[in-house]
Amino acid sequence: MRPMNPEHLEASVTPSEAKTPERSTRRSFVFFGALAATALLPGRSYGQRSTRMRRPIHPRSRGSQPAQQPSESVAAFAEWSTSSSRLVRRVTLGVTPADMAHVSQLGYEGYLNHQLSHTRINDSVVEGIAAQKWPMMFQPSDQLFGSDAGQLRSQLQESTIFRAAFSQRQLYHRMVELWSDHFNQDVTKVGYLLVADQRDVIRANALGSFPALLKASAHSASMMLYLDQESSRGGAPNQNYAREIMELHSLGVDGGYTQNDVAELARVLTGWTITGKGQFTFNPATHDWGAKTVLGVTIPQGSPAYGAEGIKEGEQMLDVLAYHPSTARFIATKMLRWLLDPNPSETQISTVASVYRATGGDIKSMIRVILNDSWLPAAPMKFKRPFHFMVSTLRSANPAITIMSGINGQLSALGHPIYTWPTPDGFPDKIEYWAGNIVPRWNFAYVLSTARSTTAVAFDAAPYLSGSPAAAVDLIDQVFFGAEMPMGTRTALLSYVNSGTFNDQRVREAISLAISANAFQWY
Amino acid sequence: MTRNPVMDERQDEDCGCQEYNELSRRQFLGAAAGASAAAFFPAWLPKIVMAKSFSSSRDIIVSVFMRGGADGLSICVPFADANYYTARSTIAIPRPDDTSAQKGINLDNFFMFPQAMAGLLPAFTLKDLLVVHATGQLNVSRSHFDAQRYMEVGKPVDPTVVTGWLGRHLASIPPLKPTASLRALGVAGGLQKTLVAPFGGNLYPTKTLPIGDPSNYTIGGAAATAPQRLSFMQQDYASAAEPVHSSALDATNTVNLLKTVNFAGYKPANSAAYPTTYFGKALRSVAVLIKNDLGIEAAQVDIGGWDTHSAQDPLAGSMYKTMKDFSNSLGAFYADVISTGYNVTVVAVSEFGRNVRENGSKGTDHGRGTVMFAMGKAIAGGRVLTKNWPGLAKEKLEAGQDLAVTLDYKDILSEIVQNRLGNPNLGFVFPTWTPSMLGVTR
Repeated sequence: MRPMNPEHLEASVTPSEAKTPERSTRRSFVFFGALAATALLPGRSYGQRSTRMRRPIHPRSRGSQPAQQPSESVAAFAEWSTSSSRLVRRVTLGVTPADMAHVSQLGYEGYLNHQLSHTRINDSVVEGIAAQKWPMMFQPSDQLFGSDAGQLRSQLQESTIFRAAFSQRQLYHRMVELWSDHFNQDVTKVGYLLVADQRDVIRANALGSFPALLKASAHSASMMLYLDQESSRGGAPNQNYAREIMELHSLGVDGGYTQNDVAELARVLTGWTITGKGQFTFNPATHDWGAKTVLGVTIPQGSPAYGAEGIKEGEQMLDVLAYHPSTARFIATKMLRWLLDPNPSETQISTVASVYRATGGDIKSMIRVILNDSWLPAAPMKFKRPFHFMVSTLRSANPAITIMSGINGQLSALGHPIYTWPTPDGFPDKIEYWAGNIVPRWNFAYVLSTARSTTAVAFDAAPYLSGSPAAAVDLIDQVFFGAEMPMGTRTALLSYVNSGTFNDQRVREAISLAISANAFQWY
Repeated sequence: MTRNPVMDERQDEDCGCQEYNELSRRQFLGAAAGASAAAFFPAWLPKIVMAKSFSSSRDIIVSVFMRGGADGLSICVPFADANYYTARSTIAIPRPDDTSAQKGINLDNFFMFPQAMAGLLPAFTLKDLLVVHATGQLNVSRSHFDAQRYMEVGKPVDPTVVTGWLGRHLASIPPLKPTASLRALGVAGGLQKTLVAPFGGNLYPTKTLPIGDPSNYTIGGAAATAPQRLSFMQQDYASAAEPVHSSALDATNTVNLLKTVNFAGYKPANSAAYPTTYFGKALRSVAVLIKNDLGIEAAQVDIGGWDTHSAQDPLAGSMYKTMKDFSNSLGAFYADVISTGYNVTVVAVSEFGRNVRENGSKGTDHGRGTVMFAMGKAIAGGRVLTKNWPGLAKEKLEAGQDLAVTLDYKDILSEIVQNRLGNPNLGFVFPTWTPSMLGVTR
């Protein structure tokens, strides 16, 4: 069997060159590093001004600090010295030499524009492999009806890891991850319906408009089932979805709605349900036709004679929610936390919220403002969630993957089995939640760097053995750290390589340590 | 700057106790022990009492969160209130005097357990299990996430607090065992908010980790190089920011600690049978850790499945299964650990209860008052504790739909923290809360 990842597929065409494609770009990358050092990058480069670097709030020497709460404001490593490399770290799920070369070629704005124009990035190789390996992802719900639940879950998880790791549309996949948690659903409850939700709601709108995304989600059979909307009926409405669409999907918990608004919106949405083998439908027979008032909007008394027209009550309320100023603020804050800073400033929130209002919730316009070259270089680092960590590892190591099941199985140990978070808030993005579960990361790093199975996963360590130990560490730095590995880690790594025989096993272990190191856990 | 004699004495205790090959943490508590905490702590946080008189016979605490909003009216049913049967037309549990096999189990002629809760009947009968009803949080919303957050934080509706009540307890009391490399764990893939702790200043390191599976907590790969690799990690993470730094350090020490524990060969006392569910396995692991006397003094374990908006079915369906898992797991823990004399207190809470009236999906939507539990040899159990039981009459319901919260969960936990966990710093653990001691401990 041939490995499935795109570079390895190309490798079968031109074996000698394409096997480690990043190597061909190493020279230009080193050149870029030299450019950056003299601040000759296109556009502004605030990262060069050391006075702008935020000092760590927690000093590294301890013992002189007063008591404090855990904080998420951790200053970037001094080695992360350019705004361009900060951008690549935020836009991608893991920095590779190819990305670094790309940003040096396009410049800060150019690279961001390139990633924002995701449909112009050719993804046919990755999608071709996905279609071959995980065909369920391309099937409609009525074909998936009755599918094996375990197989379905594996296909969902494996294809998501694979696409995130090997698609060139990196920013798009960062946003797919955000919206998958924002509109979280647990595959153990919704089963095959999640495939259509992921494809037709999340992926179709990830870089589109937020109102379109919200409305698509509200017409998703999967969401109807997940939040019990499908069984809500006039006379005894189910409030689950009505509450969460306001609390989690649009207005936010402090967005200004009351318990009475929840009860009234639940009445508005009665009849929104599922039919057939997993199609969304509006059922006039279970709709509550009485007059309602939600968020100050009055919906007059209707009549069963209106039939299918009754869905318009809910459509009207979706518009109210989508264009509500609380939604603009809530989504602006969420996107800022995801892309920029766990604790965005009031100025940042109001600026991005105003972009939401001005553009009708255009996600790309908001990203353009969030990732501007003034805010980003000054932003603290973020701690990678386990999925992000795993995908980063795969992007840099680029092992030959023939089957994904072993890699996917590691996500549970890492604490991040995607699509199985039971509650609708989605996996947390909080450092205090993830920081303690570090040992499984170290073990994953070891398993991957010592993978030698030509029928499952194989990592090729040969390039690291072609020179001296110092050259091996240089290569690790370039491949895994964007040539910005902190000095302390570099010294310790070289010392580890030098403390044993310089051979395949020693180099693989050194790479596992590099992936395990503190610096690799941040972006 | 004043020196703190208690802290210095504690440091001396730490000296020479390197049996787990632990990196020293004395620097953590070094020169600035007396420095002002005002710069980093919200103004309401009181100074901590570093008394010498901490009880040496403190209990270990196992804290359970029933996530999703557990329907207290199905778990401990007020069958003598006819309004229950009116409101629950399809999902009620038959009275104890019913002829059906699904009839409830009479507790006190007013409340009953459903059959699914029978696993906790022995602890109740032996007066070691206290059920508290119409409890919860006095002033929090029906949002799962706000309600869980503030219940775990232990201070209502203050978004500036990110630490949890149990984390602050651990930070404000010396370790039960001075040499412990792991004081507390959350049996989870990430650290629950209940255990998130403040640090630095004159606080005690809480040495707390999330560990999904304590029986498999090892550094993988070649055994020959494992110590050197572990040492690389200790060095590399030494300069990491908090909370990553402490977590990594605790992790390396805990790997060494748990190597010595035989999980697979564990034989529970009294032939206690832990269910093979996530919750049952988690409690079994906690029992092993407690019995190995490693110095673990707190564990946070979660059980989900309580968000019963549809097809609740407490007689045979989803609510039945969840309650059965809950009661059989805790029942096994009672037989294995508590009844055999270990000083352990268990508490179990949920963020809110559910509407009195069932909805059109044969489920119940988010409500307010619910039940909580406390279990241990020093808990004044064998009863259902209420405070001005409001009842289920329509005019007594909160917002016309919910069992009212008449008794804040912090009253129960405060008494346990003070009397069973030996921590006098209630103002630090539950800031701004003035507890009423209701006699929940013996």
